[in-house]
Amino acid sequence: MIRSAFVATSNASRSLMRPWDRDFALAAITYVALYVALQWLSNVRPLLALNINPWNPQAGLALAFLVLYGGRAIAVTAAAVVMGGFAVRGMPANLPVQMAASVWVAIGYGGLAAFLREREIAAQIHTVRDASRLAGAAVGGTLIVAAAYVTIFLASGQLPLSDAVTAVTRYWIGDLSGVLTLTPLLINARGWREHLPLLQRHRWEMISQLAAILLTLWIIFRLPTADQLRFFYLLFLPVIWIALRWGWRGAMLSVLLIQIGLIVAARTEIPTARLIDLQFLMVTLSLTGLLLGAAVAERAGVLRRVAMSEAEQRALLAMAPDAVLAVDPHGRVRMANAAAARLFGEGIEAGEAQLAWFLPGLQLDRAQDRVTLNGRRADGSSFPAEIAQARLDPPANEGYLVTVRDATDRRRAEEQLRERDAALARAMRFAVAGELASALAHELNQPITALVSYLRASEILAAQPVGDSKRLQATLGKAAQEAIRASAVLRKLRDFYQGGARKSERVDIAALCRTVARAFEDRLRRANASLSVAIDPTLPLVEADGTQLEIVLHNLLANALDSVSHVAGAGRQLELHGSHHDGVVTLRVADSGPGITAEVGRRLFEPFVTSKPDGMGLGLAISRSLIRARGGELSCERSRKLGGAEFTIRLPIDPPSDTPSV
Amino acid sequence: MNISTSPDATVFVVDDDASIRDALSLLISLKGLRASVYSSAEDFLAVYEPTWRGCLLTDLKMPGMSGLDLQALLRQRGVTLPVVVLTAHGDVSTTRAALKNGAVDFLEKPVDDEVLVDVLRNAIRIDEERHRATAESAQAAARLARLTSREREVLELLAQGLQHREIAERLAISPRTVEVYKARMMEKLQCRTLADVVRIGTNLRSDMAAKHPA
Repeated sequence: MIRSAFVATSNASRSLMRPWDRDFALAAITYVALYVALQWLSNVRPLLALNINPWNPQAGLALAFLVLYGGRAIAVTAAAVVMGGFAVRGMPANLPVQMAASVWVAIGYGGLAAFLREREIAAQIHTVRDASRLAGAAVGGTLIVAAAYVTIFLASGQLPLSDAVTAVTRYWIGDLSGVLTLTPLLINARGWREHLPLLQRHRWEMISQLAAILLTLWIIFRLPTADQLRFFYLLFLPVIWIALRWGWRGAMLSVLLIQIGLIVAARTEIPTARLIDLQFLMVTLSLTGLLLGAAVAERAGVLRRVAMSEAEQRALLAMAPDAVLAVDPHGRVRMANAAAARLFGEGIEAGEAQLAWFLPGLQLDRAQDRVTLNGRRADGSSFPAEIAQARLDPPANEGYLVTVRDATDRRRAEEQLRERDAALARAMRFAVAGELASALAHELNQPITALVSYLRASEILAAQPVGDSKRLQATLGKAAQEAIRASAVLRKLRDFYQGGARKSERVDIAALCRTVARAFEDRLRRANASLSVAIDPTLPLVEADGTQLEIVLHNLLANALDSVSHVAGAGRQLELHGSHHDGVVTLRVADSGPGITAEVGRRLFEPFVTSKPDGMGLGLAISRSLIRARGGELSCERSRKLGGAEFTIRLPIDPPSDTPSV
Repeated sequence: MNISTSPDATVFVVDDDASIRDALSLLISLKGLRASVYSSAEDFLAVYEPTWRGCLLTDLKMPGMSGLDLQALLRQRGVTLPVVVLTAHGDVSTTRAALKNGAVDFLEKPVDDEVLVDVLRNAIRIDEERHRATAESAQAAARLARLTSREREVLELLAQGLQHREIAERLAISPRTVEVYKARMMEKLQCRTLADVVRIGTNLRSDMAAKHPA
């Protein structure tokens, strides 16, 4: 019977929108039949002729049907109530009053059902709040229905006023326990098949729970009539047990079973006077089962979510490439992930490990962003460790989370890059030297070739028996000329490095600065340094040798970049600044490096003075002579803005006609 | 001084450096060779005559046409004048290219007189040999042209190493007639021995093979 009702309701619910289709008709017929059957079953010692019973499961059925099918179910419900009345008592004398009361019951529960639907109560019971809302709505709704029902009979004079309170109470409590027990079960019955495997798996547990209920009922009703109600509280034990194990569904089913048992017993065993006690007992059982079951379901849900997020976090930690350590306030390692075990060795997972042993010098309580220090492995070897740490948020603020990364590889890569740069610079210097030697050899070979030929010719002329002294003289003179020419080549070379032999052109300083800055883009990026270029757009053209000026600027920027690579990554700043004033163009190259030591500073522009391990110490010396040869000056001081060194080139826009020699 | 050097052999010096031109020509002439100087490859090409004997001594790096370009252009025009390259330090790859293109030698600046004169004399001798070979083959061709077709056939068969009797069978004439043709042919070619005949015949064959590749 019950099973077919479930099937019918679930079929009907799929076609809610079509008013009188086949599915609904089937569901309605089943519903009415069930309603009448339940009415008949629960008809235990009704109060007078008012159709008031101690337990009204049909009210729960009606409410569930109304919730599932909406307004069109009201008429069916009214019919069911009327037919229920006929089935129990036959044709009553006061037919119109009974009809009015039945219609009211249908309308009253229709309203309660609409309220439940609109507020989405009872459709899902996951939390204690859901259960409380359902219980509250049921208490209020059934009270209204009961009060109005009794009022109708009062008004028709069929009920004396003195019995009104008793009648309302009994009707109300009877409907309430029916509604609490059946309505949520029926509304949520759609997925009942899903629970079958559970039933199978825990067969023996369920059977023993069922046995506990039956045993309890048997104990109660084997007692003398007077003592029976005293031991009703025993029924709470199986209900609580079942609620804790299976949630509100199991609790409601067990309550339903108990109620059926009690009603069967009430037919014979329980005195009418105690029926009201029985009613309260059943309502209390229903409420207890519902609320406790909902609390269990809620807790299970929370636990499931926590377990899931913990599993996610565990997976995350296991996958993390960096070592992650949870540390308690005393510096003990509470948790270490797989990467930590790999990095530090097996000892760190034991739970007894002190973080201070593995990361000596790390200050956990100090608010710091990231630190790098030497870590120690379980085997005692050390490695450069990059550490990030965070205090755990409240309410778990008892400790810290520390991540550690092995910086060995990164350090080595940086080292290799630096070495490669140095090797490249060395190779460049050799290439430049080779080029220079080649050019020099070519220039010198010309006069020397002529010189050797003249001298050999002179030799031959001198050896001739008939001397041609004039010719010999001329040839020797030419030879001397060639020797002078050779020395001129050498002088020209020296002059180039002293800035003596320079070309002069109109140089666009701003464009030149941009060209040099662009040439550094790649090296700046690799060194993680920034260069800000600020050139006065009104800089005039300057009479100078553009190539020499470019060499000097290039040299100064290269020095600055070398210098900032000694400081931490974030603060690597270079600045190229150009301005003019009173016929003098000023170019400044400043850096945020450590600056020039006093010792180096005094001899900075002398040749072969350097602070670089692989430097030749010629750059600044040559740079200064090139600038001075043009009547300018190159000087160095401490940068006020960036804190490192600042080199200043001052160039007159029109150079003096007589350039000083160096 | 060296008698083997023909009197009209000249060293043609091409160098953009006036001092080097002057010094080299002085030294070369004092060593008994004739020297003629040009300040650029273009100047030399403008006046060059195919009848000129001797060798070319050229600098590699010059403004305008380089020594390498000059060498390539001469080769392209079929000029057989031997080329000696005068190179400055650091021109190793250029020098290698010059040698590959047929330069007979190279000299590195500064160069001493003994080496210079040795190399130049050697180059001039190569020029003379080339010239003589060309003249001889021209003479031989002229003599061959005077042969009748029968005499020419006998020459070719003799060069192949055939006996008189075999030649007679091939040409369907008597061995006696073969001997008459042979005697006339040897007289026209001014050959005294059979070996001379075979040499000329072999040259002829290889020339023909070169002119009409099969």
